[in-house]
Amino acid sequence: MEAVLRHLTNILELLAVSQTDHVSEWDRHTTLRAFQWAEYCEQLHSRFQCNPAVRSALESALSDTNQRLQQALPSCSPVMFSELAQCQHMLLIHLLTNPSAPNSVIPILFPDPKTAAQDSQFDQNSLITCKSAFNLLCRTSDRTSYAGLHVEAVVRGKLLGNLLNSVLSRTGNDEYARTLLDSILHDSAGKPESLYDVIAAALLSPDDETNSVVPHFILAWLQEQDGCLSKLCKSLSPGLCTVISRQSREFKQAYWGVLKQWASCLEFDVLEGLWVPTSDEPVTFIILTDRFKELLNSGPPLKEETETELKTLKREAGDFNVKGICIWTDVIIQLKL
Amino acid sequence: MEAVSDTDVQFWMAKAMNWGEDLSCSALLDTSRHLCSLRSFLQQVLQGLQQMSSTSEAMKTFPFVGQFLGRLCWNPCVIADERSQRLLLRCLSCLYSAEPLNAVERKANMWIKDMLCHLISEEEGSVAHTTVKHAGVTPKRYHSEALQKVVSLMTEEVIKSCDGLPNTARCLNGNIHTMSTACVALVTCPEMSPLIGALLKHFMLCGSSCLNQEFIKEINEALISKRLVLEHEAVVNLWCYSPTCLEGAAVSFLESVLSGHETMTQSLDKHVNDSLLPRASAHHCHIFLTVNEIYRNVLTEIDENLAVRALIQVFTACFLQRLTGQKPQDRLPLRAFFPNVTPCLLTPLLTAPSEVPREAWLDHLSWIRSLLQSVTENEEAGEDGRAYQAVFEAWFLLVQCGYWVDTAAELLVLAAPENAKSLLWLLTFFHHPTNRGHQRSQQTAVAREAWTHLRMLFLTRPPPPRHLCAVKELLSSSFSANLVLHLFSNFTVFSHGPVSIITEITDKVLTEAAVKRRALWILALIRCRLNSAATRDDRVYSRLRTLQDTLLQT
Repeated sequence: MEAVLRHLTNILELLAVSQTDHVSEWDRHTTLRAFQWAEYCEQLHSRFQCNPAVRSALESALSDTNQRLQQALPSCSPVMFSELAQCQHMLLIHLLTNPSAPNSVIPILFPDPKTAAQDSQFDQNSLITCKSAFNLLCRTSDRTSYAGLHVEAVVRGKLLGNLLNSVLSRTGNDEYARTLLDSILHDSAGKPESLYDVIAAALLSPDDETNSVVPHFILAWLQEQDGCLSKLCKSLSPGLCTVISRQSREFKQAYWGVLKQWASCLEFDVLEGLWVPTSDEPVTFIILTDRFKELLNSGPPLKEETETELKTLKREAGDFNVKGICIWTDVIIQLKL
Repeated sequence: MEAVSDTDVQFWMAKAMNWGEDLSCSALLDTSRHLCSLRSFLQQVLQGLQQMSSTSEAMKTFPFVGQFLGRLCWNPCVIADERSQRLLLRCLSCLYSAEPLNAVERKANMWIKDMLCHLISEEEGSVAHTTVKHAGVTPKRYHSEALQKVVSLMTEEVIKSCDGLPNTARCLNGNIHTMSTACVALVTCPEMSPLIGALLKHFMLCGSSCLNQEFIKEINEALISKRLVLEHEAVVNLWCYSPTCLEGAAVSFLESVLSGHETMTQSLDKHVNDSLLPRASAHHCHIFLTVNEIYRNVLTEIDENLAVRALIQVFTACFLQRLTGQKPQDRLPLRAFFPNVTPCLLTPLLTAPSEVPREAWLDHLSWIRSLLQSVTENEEAGEDGRAYQAVFEAWFLLVQCGYWVDTAAELLVLAAPENAKSLLWLLTFFHHPTNRGHQRSQQTAVAREAWTHLRMLFLTRPPPPRHLCAVKELLSSSFSANLVLHLFSNFTVFSHGPVSIITEITDKVLTEAAVKRRALWILALIRCRLNSAATRDDRVYSRLRTLQDTLLQT
């Protein structure tokens, strides 16, 4: 174990150095050695990804090393355990993007396709082919026929679902799975909408509907993130939310919860005679009713359940039949129930 | 000398700019149409670059190359095509300087590194980048799985789009065409085969299916050059969809048989079955008729056609085996497959020797002979072309069912003289169907003479020199060489007597290489017939092997 932790530290140092100008000292031998270490590192990840005990030891070693390296070389980025699976790729990218990388190194990493063996460590052809084939097919499948989701989101969602499923299938990995989702969310901070689509697909993904481990987990995680569930529901179309609600009771409950929360942000403006938003939540009365309309159009049993729920809400709020007092009354009137 | 012409450069630059990165339907269509010629152009560019001594020189001689390669690297359709991708990477590799000497070269290096980065990774901050980064597997594995998933989703879509109803209004034709266009570049990608299979099957289910022609062409070329392996059903669907592809496959198989002499003669039936032609023919009458027509035309056009005859015989035998394997309710009547032949000939000839008990062979062959004889007598009686046509059709059916001729030759080895006449007639007719110049009596006489000599040769020990010379002379005369060779080969394999005699006699009698080659084809047919027999006679097999080894020795 000692040796393994030492190796891990070595690799992190290598990765860090590859991002600095010290890399200009690397020669052919150093470069090949670095990739060997990176490959070893990938094997570590694959062996211990689902083993909570060993993984947490590795994670804490990582965290220590990251801190130390940050102090010495502020420009290099910290490495997470999940990223170790792509160590060689990371190293390659560092060398390509680092202007100080020696010129002689690149031809080693991209050998002439004619002379290089098909399965050589540095053969990028199948990666490039698969990646562009995937890209090409996704782009040509422009009809959104998967519950309104684009096929690229569906595929990425399924793969995410598979990853979570394999991580969660062994006990003690809940925290790790949460960390994965946290990182994905963090890295998408700029454009979360596409990510929400992927998450929606992951919620829909188990083709075997009896396996609800992953959707349950994702929902629980969403509810832990402040405002995330609400943003997700807002970003996804009413139709899509309805489809997910049909498939997952849990999501249905959570979705209703979000809608109720949106409703609580609306206030009746007596002068205008309308329900208007009070906070920064960009939810309007129309948006709210559209959501419910979609739920009601979905057919049994969701239709009946939603009707019942609305009527219950109206009753609990005082059972008013006049407009302008209780939002649920107005929603019901608007939807002509 | 300019490696690439200015007009070409202008044309391709315009194309590359036009296609851009947007991948609209029309851009995709245009790109897929030009992939083949683009590859040739890239090959020219690569050759030009390889002759440059430095990147600076390259940039001066080919000023367009940076922008051109750059644009192509951003085009997913071009990059997805394996061969174009390799050419592009090799061009980039040529332009990279391990020791840059000036600013131009340093800049080129940077640009190339950027390009490589773009090719192997995602745009930072995109959902693609994030999901790949935290996927817990290498990017290569992630994208392979992603590709498999998208293929599986699209395959389901294709299968569902036409649920077998003849109602073509329900079929989403436009999408099928677009999908097949996208697949043009991806035909040899192994993950693609379920989608390719589904698209080809779609045609069978939906009458108005419309696949991109380039797609069909690429599949066909890839299949023939063995860069692609498809499921059998998909290949058969391809042939149903495109008669051109079927013809191409039949011709290319024929060429491989004619040129791959040694491997072909060793296991001809296996090769024929592997070509999938018998299987396809058994399921689709029109395929059988097309293939037959092609091979028939070749037979009548070339003189030295023993190999083609062998192919036709084995193809028909394999086809008939497949046919009998089908459920009775699925089977078409034999008339449908052999429309031009007198119906009474069908039953005796299309029943394989393996289905008739050995004791009945002589009678069966008598039956065949009498039917054929009456056809030829009709021709001699009347002078019209129709009777001649009937003889040709009957003869061609005999070529197709050559296993009976081989059976006759086998029986001749041990036949009593009173039975030989019938069998010799059959053999003579097989090798000389026309009675041009009334040569038939002459040919029959030669056949009998050869048979007599061969009997003496193989029954007497040591082999009498007189008969040896006689046989040798008959073989060297072009009058009946094939017939004599046919008899000789069968005598060697089926006669009793020591195996050592085979080498002794063969070495003396078959001396020319051309004759040995023809003998190997005859052996191939004997072997195929023995393979489908009910019981295996080891003695015969060992004689066959010995003869083959003798013939293969140069």
